[in-house]
Amino acid sequence: MDLESRSVFTVGLLAALLMTVFLGLGVQGQEKDVYKVGVDANFPPWTYVEKGEYKGFDVEVIRAIAEAQDMEIEIIDMPWETIVSALGSGKIDVLVSGLSITCERDKIIDYSQPYWSVNQAVLVSQDSDLNAITAMTQGNKVGAQRGTTGYMWIQDELVDGGVDVQPKAYENYVMAVEDLTTGRLDAVLADTTTAKNFVKKGRNVKIIGTVSTGEQYAYAVTEGDPYDLLPKINEGMKKVFESGRWMEIFNKYLAEYGYAPPATIPLGRELTCE
Amino acid sequence: MEILNVLAGEAPYLFRGLFITIQLLIGLLGVGLVGGVLLAVAEVYGNRLFSTLAVLIQRGLRAIPALVLLFLSYYAMDLPPLLISIIALGLRSSAYQSQIFRGAIQSIKSGQMMAARSMGMSRLQGIWYVVLPQAVRLAIGPWSNEYASETKDTSLAYVVGVVEIMRRSRYIISYTYGNALLIYGIVALVYFFLTRAGNSLLYWLEDRLWVPGFERRS
Repeated sequence: MDLESRSVFTVGLLAALLMTVFLGLGVQGQEKDVYKVGVDANFPPWTYVEKGEYKGFDVEVIRAIAEAQDMEIEIIDMPWETIVSALGSGKIDVLVSGLSITCERDKIIDYSQPYWSVNQAVLVSQDSDLNAITAMTQGNKVGAQRGTTGYMWIQDELVDGGVDVQPKAYENYVMAVEDLTTGRLDAVLADTTTAKNFVKKGRNVKIIGTVSTGEQYAYAVTEGDPYDLLPKINEGMKKVFESGRWMEIFNKYLAEYGYAPPATIPLGRELTCE
Repeated sequence: MEILNVLAGEAPYLFRGLFITIQLLIGLLGVGLVGGVLLAVAEVYGNRLFSTLAVLIQRGLRAIPALVLLFLSYYAMDLPPLLISIIALGLRSSAYQSQIFRGAIQSIKSGQMMAARSMGMSRLQGIWYVVLPQAVRLAIGPWSNEYASETKDTSLAYVVGVVEIMRRSRYIISYTYGNALLIYGIVALVYFFLTRAGNSLLYWLEDRLWVPGFERRS
């Protein structure tokens, strides 16, 4: 090829690329063949990847729901920083990743019925003599994963309430707990389930108290539920519980932490938002 | 130690992540190479319109953080994450590469273009057959710097959902609830070797393409 036809070729390629981009933006249907289920694969025992395979309580439950409701799903990993806005803008169709219901998030996404209750636990290092009150006052450094309800609680209830603490945001809880054990943090605030896992896995930390936030985990879809997925998911959740599959998955992932299973699924939602 | 067994089992998946990293790297450097040469040629030889346009694109892209470019592309385009990252990081690389090529083109004496024109070549032929072959050779050295820096920036692509080696390594840290130092240490070594291997290849290429009579890297 000489230079002229080469540049024509390049321009053509660029134009084709741009066309795909803009045409791609217009696609919108009422039903999809395959629904994209976003997970943050850094949140065991709910969603994680071991040896290249998606695992965890939420992963298996959503697969069971999809099977019961005859839906095709594809699981996609997104980091926590991106996942809620990815759902809000319809980049993924469903979010399952130990997501707590909050009114702030309710503005950009819609929730299924809840399936799990958590509070926030205060973690300190094993040799610390702080208690639940002193750990989160006196100018102490308290860490949590960025964008989690734990971090929001430190901001909204402590910092905005004038309590003398230094909040520290982390990309994930493993890093926060790592800093807790090396003394760079005084305390970490995490979902009770997450906190218990760190203790159980032999990290050098202990739980010194819980903050009753009464949060509930639910699955979520894009605001307005464009594909009418919520009724399917809620119904599917019920089917999966009634068939006993839910308890199987519970025993596989959660029983070892000493939780009592809920009497029925789905749970009633406790938080109402305008 | 238990973690060593875990790592042995995870090794193939870390390699899969490395493979994605390499795909992303080659893709973005390719986009950057084509874009960079075009921008540089437009900046140096273009008429007023093209040269101003090239300067604006190049300055704009260099002024936006890679992370912001990634997010912008992610929300503006409906494409697979890997392709989005190749485009976003590739465009940014084209801006940096354009400055490498501009410097190299401008170091070729302007008399060469005049000679080419006086022999009946068109301007484009002069650029393609006379200036660029020499400029590209000169650009390899500084380009190896761009290679090293982009290699490390591929680790940003996880934010739009590309499961490259950093993301894979985080998976292990998450489900083993720790071992961050060991695992990030291993990943650091992998990046080190990837950068070194690429730079050695580029130095070899530089020697290979050296034209007698020109300055040479000793």
